[in-house]
Amino acid sequence: MAEDKTHPDAPLIERWLAEQQQWQKTFLTYMDSMVKNEDFLVHLGNAMRGSLLAGKPYPTQPPPAASAPETPADDKLDQVLFALRKLEGQVEDLRLTLDELKADRKRAPRKAQPPKPKEPQ
Amino acid sequence: MNEAGAEPERDQERELEALLELSRRGRLKLERLHEVLTTPGHFGTGATPSTVVYRENKLKLLRLLDESGKPREGRPPVLFVPAPVSRYFILDLLPGRSFAGYVAAAGFDVYVADFGTPSREDRFADLEYYVEGLVRRCVRTVSALTGEDQIGIVGYCLGGTLSLLYSALYPKTVRRLVLLTTSVDGDVEGGIPWVAHRMGLAGESYDNPRLVPAAEVKSWFEMLAPGSNSTIGRVSDLWDRLDDAPERLREVRTMASWVDDVVPAPGRLLAELYRKLGPGANGLMKGRATVGERAVDLTAVRMPVLSVSAEKDTIAPPEGVDAVRSIVPHAEIVRLPGGHVGIVAGRAAPALWKRTVEFLGEGRRDA
Repeated sequence: MAEDKTHPDAPLIERWLAEQQQWQKTFLTYMDSMVKNEDFLVHLGNAMRGSLLAGKPYPTQPPPAASAPETPADDKLDQVLFALRKLEGQVEDLRLTLDELKADRKRAPRKAQPPKPKEPQ
Repeated sequence: MNEAGAEPERDQERELEALLELSRRGRLKLERLHEVLTTPGHFGTGATPSTVVYRENKLKLLRLLDESGKPREGRPPVLFVPAPVSRYFILDLLPGRSFAGYVAAAGFDVYVADFGTPSREDRFADLEYYVEGLVRRCVRTVSALTGEDQIGIVGYCLGGTLSLLYSALYPKTVRRLVLLTTSVDGDVEGGIPWVAHRMGLAGESYDNPRLVPAAEVKSWFEMLAPGSNSTIGRVSDLWDRLDDAPERLREVRTMASWVDDVVPAPGRLLAELYRKLGPGANGLMKGRATVGERAVDLTAVRMPVLSVSAEKDTIAPPEGVDAVRSIVPHAEIVRLPGGHVGIVAGRAAPALWKRTVEFLGEGRRDA
């Protein structure tokens, strides 16, 4: 942060001039960051909307083109994709069930071995 | 110069002094803002080191690690279920201000469900997908990793609704249940369903759902927080805050990075929640809630339950949260000072964290 080195008892005109110089420095600091740091513009834009949200732009309504109705083919593709997601979950359920069965088998006490049949004499 | 001539000159000088001070204060605020905007901060992810133990679609199940980067094996497992319409890291916000981190440090093996950001195809996700699918598989994964048949569950906001429904369907797998700002009475005025109701919106379509844009989800929350829904109001608030110390501003920035970083919501889930549990239908209170084809029997929720409401909650009004006492009569009801977000991650949040740890710990003594 820039420091104001003007003596507080200095004449008013001098303090105003010093203040003007400080503003120039502040302005240049902002300009410098805008040029060197891509994220800074996003963050500054967010601040101008009253938000300190970092890392991404403040959410705004998508442009009308983005929310245009999809074609039936898009819709079907999405339904297929989501059905695949559900299948993925069901496969995971199967895997978890198999793991549980394996764990149960390990935990269960081994059953006594049946006696060997006597050999015919 | 005589006295009469000196007086206006002194007035003018005083005005210039006041203007100079105003200019200096404004400049210092802008310098502080620059400092905050250019300092790398903590945002977007949880504060506690973690490892992903399960992935499915956009979901990541995180297991918190200890200081040496190892899982807390052998400790009682606890699963945090956040709301799928917001980012999970509110439960693990900052070092020293992390609910999940606090519970882990108190001796629990903590897991956090990060539902991620839905894509367009996820607009078809419904209650069954979340409860019978994602939440159930998270619980099963935790059980498989720990060898525990029962685990503790902490559900926040809509994540609490999912947790309650899950606990009613699979009660034997839940040792203790904590519901944080989880509204169960859809007829209590206020909260998200009522915003839609009051605005006369038809609600989302179940059959032809859309992915509700993040900005729209955010606008609902803003309608419930007077002053936050106008750019001028927000800018004015931020300008006032710029008098705070940079450290405090960095905390505000982390919180803002959660509040303003909402995710799009699956339209089918919202439509189902509104139609089944919202105003009028009020499925939880009337005992008519269903998940997929299965009826939800809340009398099956026999495990110890702690329900926490926040006095100044505009998103889940405390009356709608505390109503859980009429559907789960043995639930312990606690109302804490603060708002919906403040009680889990604000300055007063440690009161909730402490009570939660005590409650989950009592569960171990029961065992």
